[in-house]
Amino acid sequence: MVVIDKETRYDRQLRLWATAGQSRLEHSHICLLNATPTGSEILKNLILPGIGKFTIIDNRLVTQVDLSSNFFLKREDLGTPIASAIQHNLSELNQEAQGSSIIKSIEQIFAEPDTFWGQFSVVIVSDYIPHLKRLIDILWSREIPLLIVNSVGFYGSLNLIATEINVIETHDPSKLYDLRIDKPWPELQEFSDSFDLDKLDDTEHAHVPYIVIFIKALKQWKIKHNGQPPITYQEKTMFRNLIQSMSRNIQLETNFIEAYNSYHRAFQKTEIPDSIKSLLFTSQERKLTPTTSIFWVYVAALHKFVSHNNGQLPLPGKLPDMASDTNNYIKLQKIYHKKALQDQELFANEVYSILDTLRRPREEISRESIATFCKNVQLLYVTIGSKYLSNDKLVEELFRDGDSTSSLAVYFGVLTFNHFVDQYKRFPKIDDLPQFIHLFTKMFGQANPLPQSIANVFQEILSHNTRNYHNLCSLMGGIASQEVLKLTTSQYIPLDNLFIFDGVKSTSERFKIDPL
Amino acid sequence: MRDLSSILPLVETAGPFNEVPEEYDPHDSLLSLATTKILVIGAGGLGCEILKNLALTGFKDIHVIDMDTIELSNLNRQFLFRPEDIGKSKAEVAARAIIARIGDDNLKITPYFGKIQDKPREYYRQFSVVISGLDSIEARRWINATLMALVDEETLVPLIDGGTEGLRGQSRVILPTISSCFECSLDLLSPKVTYPVCTIANTPRLPEHCIEWANQLQWPRHFPDRKFDADNPDDVDWMYQMAKTRADEFKIEGVTRSLTLGVVKNIIPAIASTNAVIAASCCNEAFKFVTNSNPLLNNYMMYSGDESIFTYTYPYAKKDNCPVCGNMPKWVKAERWWTLDQFIEELSTKQEVQMTRPSLTTSSRYLYLSNPEELEKLTRTNLSKKLSDLLAPGEEIVVTDPKLPISMKVLVEFVGSEVDPEFINK
Repeated sequence: MVVIDKETRYDRQLRLWATAGQSRLEHSHICLLNATPTGSEILKNLILPGIGKFTIIDNRLVTQVDLSSNFFLKREDLGTPIASAIQHNLSELNQEAQGSSIIKSIEQIFAEPDTFWGQFSVVIVSDYIPHLKRLIDILWSREIPLLIVNSVGFYGSLNLIATEINVIETHDPSKLYDLRIDKPWPELQEFSDSFDLDKLDDTEHAHVPYIVIFIKALKQWKIKHNGQPPITYQEKTMFRNLIQSMSRNIQLETNFIEAYNSYHRAFQKTEIPDSIKSLLFTSQERKLTPTTSIFWVYVAALHKFVSHNNGQLPLPGKLPDMASDTNNYIKLQKIYHKKALQDQELFANEVYSILDTLRRPREEISRESIATFCKNVQLLYVTIGSKYLSNDKLVEELFRDGDSTSSLAVYFGVLTFNHFVDQYKRFPKIDDLPQFIHLFTKMFGQANPLPQSIANVFQEILSHNTRNYHNLCSLMGGIASQEVLKLTTSQYIPLDNLFIFDGVKSTSERFKIDPL
Repeated sequence: MRDLSSILPLVETAGPFNEVPEEYDPHDSLLSLATTKILVIGAGGLGCEILKNLALTGFKDIHVIDMDTIELSNLNRQFLFRPEDIGKSKAEVAARAIIARIGDDNLKITPYFGKIQDKPREYYRQFSVVISGLDSIEARRWINATLMALVDEETLVPLIDGGTEGLRGQSRVILPTISSCFECSLDLLSPKVTYPVCTIANTPRLPEHCIEWANQLQWPRHFPDRKFDADNPDDVDWMYQMAKTRADEFKIEGVTRSLTLGVVKNIIPAIASTNAVIAASCCNEAFKFVTNSNPLLNNYMMYSGDESIFTYTYPYAKKDNCPVCGNMPKWVKAERWWTLDQFIEELSTKQEVQMTRPSLTTSSRYLYLSNPEELEKLTRTNLSKKLSDLLAPGEEIVVTDPKLPISMKVLVEFVGSEVDPEFINK
């Protein structure tokens, strides 16, 4: 038995979601309905990074087609229950993940009480299942996210069905810093005032951090401009020249070169981003209850914080690197950090007062979670999902594009494929094209004759009607597993809410099906 | 027995998007799958996926090259390996794992535990397609240039290249001489983060500065005869302690063992999901190419999964000054006061050049030769001379590197002053 050092084993993923994300992943339980190759690939990609538990539900026996396309089936598994065979073979990948299999049909599962589903963090349906709508309704009411992943021939689609998704740690790649240069708090102003630029020697002068340069330049500017910061393009250019004029040699002083190049930071306004404003607005309409999620408790607390603190958000406290000597940079870092901690303290009190009113224990939240929220407060993400696979607007969009190149034809082809299976209990073939189109028209109405671009896609689907083309299964499995990782670690922004892959053209598109 | 039932429907009928419907023959497609010799370069995160995908889509003659051995940190994504395989050859273990699982006497997987550069150029002529899943830029440039050099009336070996970084990646199809090549897009790669030496030496502010101080300045001083080995825990500990001491001295927070390793090893985050997406995309292109069932990717698909899911597919354009597939020289700016040494330093770190030991010649003379030793000695004196004095007006420089089968034509555009401005100020 080899002793496994988890930190090393998971090193390459911990650099993406850190121990907080990993711990959430290790407490997740993922359910797969239909032991398809796509489903096995999804679970493979989740067991490797260490999900807690997985359950496979399928009552079929392994066939030749399964064996032909699924790496997690062995030849000797032919004719045995597929759910347990795959569960067994997947378990080799990581001892940490606990697998189980349920050899029952979806109808048999529905015979169980609905509380059965409560054990899962995410449920995945691969390809067709009967009574999909009923499953959606159950999971929707229990607020369990559902992924529906389909693959037919060279095509694939993924729906993410969730009542609401909110993310604190979005890892937004835009380097956004809240520096408050336009509104320095007393400690920051004091630090800036402690520099007398004219009295510094050349080395010191070339190491004044640009935050100080900006605060000084802005002060000087405002005196001459009725207290207004530079607003027009012309004024901004003049401000830039002012910075240049403050330098003793703009070719050599790296701090002034940096200031000159990133001069936009100087008039970045300290204000609440629109997305957060609308979030605060929404929170007013929500009634807080003893079961309100911590996210919305935080947003309600944020609303109070903002009104008690001159309309400002808690300071994240993160500083970009900038030319400076060590000492002054560390001092500056401490000033930002101290203010961030003070804001966190004030914010925590707002959270506590809400929890107290709701008679909920303060232990529900930790200091780390408060800090994480405050550090990411400008980039919070919320979206409201849809429980529908299609609606009039999406159909309209399909036809509006007419003969263009929209991937929606692929998606409606996949939906119709599943309807066909539901009705005729077999896959449609190319000879079934008229019947297939008829079914499509019946389901989604409209269009006679069918635009050629849509007919071509349908023809492609029926010509290449395998659901087990491994490359597509593996690709869609990779994408679906990535979304499960985002949902379980509560990090990065998940799909919202439909993704379509076209392996003929090697392109993809995403759409949002609106909540009705 | 595993049969082809999962892919037969893909080849039995030509679909509406098939580009050669008149000539299309399902038997040819199946025969082609069974006989095509395909080479997989890299048996790591992408390689494991690629081998599995090829084996499950009808390929029967697969070759795989990888110089690396299995490490514990590979196991979060390289699903063909188990803890007991640590230290063994990736190519060999991967080949055995696939053969054992697929169990088909007609499937041949030939592993090679070594470098792609070990094989002569002619070795690569036997393959119909090459798929690469590499993390090394140098190796990708090497195979790209090698396949380009093979092109003649009978040979054109497509290169299908995949790469990933965290939740992002790209796949592309390179038809040598026809579409843009890997070298054409060197400047697309995200540049490695570097820190100015004076910051590292005098004014550290970030934990990374302290780690680079230990790595770049202290290690060579303490161990002049030994290279740092990131796989040796003692070496890593030494580096970490050194960086930590430096950080404590300057009251800088955040130096950890994990960050130290990340910086000195230039670790790129990696997970199974992204590798699965990119590898599958590459293999889908290989499948379409070999079976003629559907059109090929033209020619670049970038993938990003960190904010929703997004792909962008577009034809990346050939560059006529590409040193591999173009024939025009590259223009490079140089300050008039630069010495040859300064020019080489600037040139070799350029995003679209990236050479470690470049040699420079013109049609009339050797400017600098990095090897062999005797010639290096002979040309070394040129390094301190001004570049503008060494070159005739409009003279073309040919730049080569012993590690790459590439010769780059460069024309210099002189700018700025004759004298170092910093010198004037002092």
